[in-house]
Amino acid sequence: MSSLDYLDELEARTIFILREAFSCVSPLAMLWSIGKDSTALLWMVRKAFLGEVPFPVVLLDTGMEFDEVYAFRDRLVADWSLPVANEPCPPESSVDQTLPPAARHAARKTAGLRALIGREGYRGIILGIRRDEQAIRAKERIFSPRNADGSWDPRSQPPELWDYYAYDVPDGAHVRIHPLLHWTELDIWRYTLREQIPYVPLYLAKDGKRYRSLGESNITFPITSSADTLEKIIAELEVTRDPERAGRAMDNESEDAFERLRTTGYM
Amino acid sequence: MVGDVDAGKSTILGRLLVDLGLVTPARLEELETSSSKRGVPIEYSFLLDAFQLERDQAITLDLTRIWVRTPDAEFVFVDAPGHRELIRNLLSGASEVDAAVMVVAADEGITLQTRRQALFLRWFGFANVLVAINKLDLADDPHAAYDTRAAEVTAFLDQLGMHPRAIVPVAARSGDGIVKPGPLTAWWKGPTLVEALGTLERAQTREDGPLRFVVQDVYRRDGKRLIAGRIESGTLERGEYLTFWPLQTGARVVAIHDWPDEIGSAATGASIAVELDARVFVDRGAVGSRAIDAPELGHAAQTTVVWLGVNPVRAGEPLRMRLGTREITVTLQKIEETIDPDTLEPRESEDLRSGDVGVISLVSRELIAADTNVSESSIGRFVLLRDGTIVAGGRIDAVVGHSRGEGATNVVAMTSSVERLERTVRNGHAGGVFWLTGLPSSGKSTVAMAVQRMLFERGRQVYVLDGDTLRTSLNVDLGFSDEDRSENVRRTAAVAGVFADAGFIVICALISPFSADRELARSAYPNGFHEIYVACDLQTAEKRDVKGHYGRARRGELTHFTGVSSPYEIPANPELVVDTATHRIDESAAQLLEYVEGHLVK
Repeated sequence: MSSLDYLDELEARTIFILREAFSCVSPLAMLWSIGKDSTALLWMVRKAFLGEVPFPVVLLDTGMEFDEVYAFRDRLVADWSLPVANEPCPPESSVDQTLPPAARHAARKTAGLRALIGREGYRGIILGIRRDEQAIRAKERIFSPRNADGSWDPRSQPPELWDYYAYDVPDGAHVRIHPLLHWTELDIWRYTLREQIPYVPLYLAKDGKRYRSLGESNITFPITSSADTLEKIIAELEVTRDPERAGRAMDNESEDAFERLRTTGYM
Repeated sequence: MVGDVDAGKSTILGRLLVDLGLVTPARLEELETSSSKRGVPIEYSFLLDAFQLERDQAITLDLTRIWVRTPDAEFVFVDAPGHRELIRNLLSGASEVDAAVMVVAADEGITLQTRRQALFLRWFGFANVLVAINKLDLADDPHAAYDTRAAEVTAFLDQLGMHPRAIVPVAARSGDGIVKPGPLTAWWKGPTLVEALGTLERAQTREDGPLRFVVQDVYRRDGKRLIAGRIESGTLERGEYLTFWPLQTGARVVAIHDWPDEIGSAATGASIAVELDARVFVDRGAVGSRAIDAPELGHAAQTTVVWLGVNPVRAGEPLRMRLGTREITVTLQKIEETIDPDTLEPRESEDLRSGDVGVISLVSRELIAADTNVSESSIGRFVLLRDGTIVAGGRIDAVVGHSRGEGATNVVAMTSSVERLERTVRNGHAGGVFWLTGLPSSGKSTVAMAVQRMLFERGRQVYVLDGDTLRTSLNVDLGFSDEDRSENVRRTAAVAGVFADAGFIVICALISPFSADRELARSAYPNGFHEIYVACDLQTAEKRDVKGHYGRARRGELTHFTGVSSPYEIPANPELVVDTATHRIDESAAQLLEYVEGHLVK
């Protein structure tokens, strides 16, 4: 019998976390951004629950994603029989106008999430964020309680000892669950390749450009690349030093904008 | 990374990142510019201070944790500005930390801080310790300084029963000996720090440990029960016989699911779902093992904990314990020893305060199934919770036979040869206590008797403990003063607890007017106690006056009568309310029947 390789270990740990969430937190929902991370996570959800997805898969829809993303979404919903719940986000005019333009889009998603939780009473929300994506995400916990208004204080978080997580949530509050926290961008691609998980074609290079990360179409810009297969993307990532989200306007607009976004409840 | 704050841990880490080429040239240039602007040499530790750092494929930064990937290996460096932060960080990052790098400055040598941290590491069970003798640039003779300090460190660690994997000379300022040798370490024939790190093995060799299949949940698919969980140590083969603890139920594994595949054997760390050849009672919290190397069982455990809660804790306090996926109620029986984190001296203590390391005994009504070696087993280390928040992390040092209550410290009660769950299986239902409380003539006894009949006819093992009846036998010596009422409740609850343990559905019908007493009653059988408020307004109850007591009480012939001359405290949070003023007896009985069946029959 063989022991687990590195990707197997990451996968087994994510499945463990998903099963803990399902067993201890209710009602539960998962946010699917249709990107490579949350799609890989959805794949692991199906593994964890033996082919089923036992909680709603929520799409926070700003109406501004790329067409290819919407097409991919529809295909997967059909192929995997996903129990999706489409949540349209409030219009841009309704969010904090002091935020830089791209960050306002993110704020729409935050508002949509808050409305959803308020209405459906979800006690736990599963998200596919990773520690290596952004500085402030590095401080996240796997089970991260959020206050009733969705806010988060990274300085006063519960300790996460060994594999013991904070399941208990006071009424009105919810807990964010991050089963992909220990994965890196490279890990996700390697796993996607190994498992043959479907992905949005925009990740592959076309005409010398590809999208490394997918946000809304008006705030995500492609990078220069000729990597038109997963193997080439992986090879490219193995040598690159630029941050993954460099093409995302919102993160660069102002450093503390992202921090502000997170502490007020953005993913 | 441990060591005195001035020994240069941060400088070593910063230098490591730069020399490994993991810091972008832009960032390094920024650092060089700002350092030269201030007329100081580059302070590499500044790299670690930023709350925000640009993302890089190989480095991820938390306040005190750095994930580093080199082509050959992945490291997590846990830095800690102080002792308390070290404890917290070690505990939270423990599943990722396998070794400690102890930094000792060539000029200062071993300080009190170093001693404290080393002691804590030893308690924590660290096998892999690497020592770096730093600041060789400050010594006149680096080689001689290294020899002196290395000897000191070896002797010191030896006293603690620790043996360093390597003692490496470095000079972080200039980078000598960290990634590559330099003039200050030219005489050194051993590895650089990075090379020494590369030789460390993962401390946790769970593959070799006893099989531990920790159950997270049970899923039903196509009529089959699939037991989902993780192989925490050892390996599991299809066809093996698994025994689940603490219930001691067992069956053979007919299939191991690794969806969408079915596999013949599961390796350590695998998250799987298992199908058994018999319908045995297994649920979240159970641990599967082979019979020959099963976990230890008992109702009490001797443990070493680090108290993380803001408020102190003392003996007698109930807490929740999570061990593996199991959560049970425990009582802190005794604080045997406390180690003050600032002095590292043992001290006599009535309580444990934030940061204290304590040796404490815990007892539980439920069986504890645990391993007594922290680094190998996930049922060897636990957390304690108070009001849903984690307040301590600890490890099980020993599991002992059960002892309960103050008077019983020298009495070690027998562990039953028949487990509660075996009775549940035999009876088709679990045992439980249904405590009916309410005014006189509210209908408690009547409803109790009616429900008993209904349950009996369904084949349940059931008995009624009626307050008045018990006052003719067990409680014949008690009156109706407040103290006597309390004692009446206590005794009746104790008996009810024993019956429930024996698998019976016990229905108690007592006025039990005081909430404090009812809370005490609950503690006799905390995991299966149901407070049922038999609600009836005083007027209606008095009109019924089934026994004629209200009349006599109004005439002053009876004193201390609840409702007339003695108060009744209405339950604030009963599990069920049965309203006998607006419902017939048979309706109330049916309501209670449904409640009982819903809770005890699966």
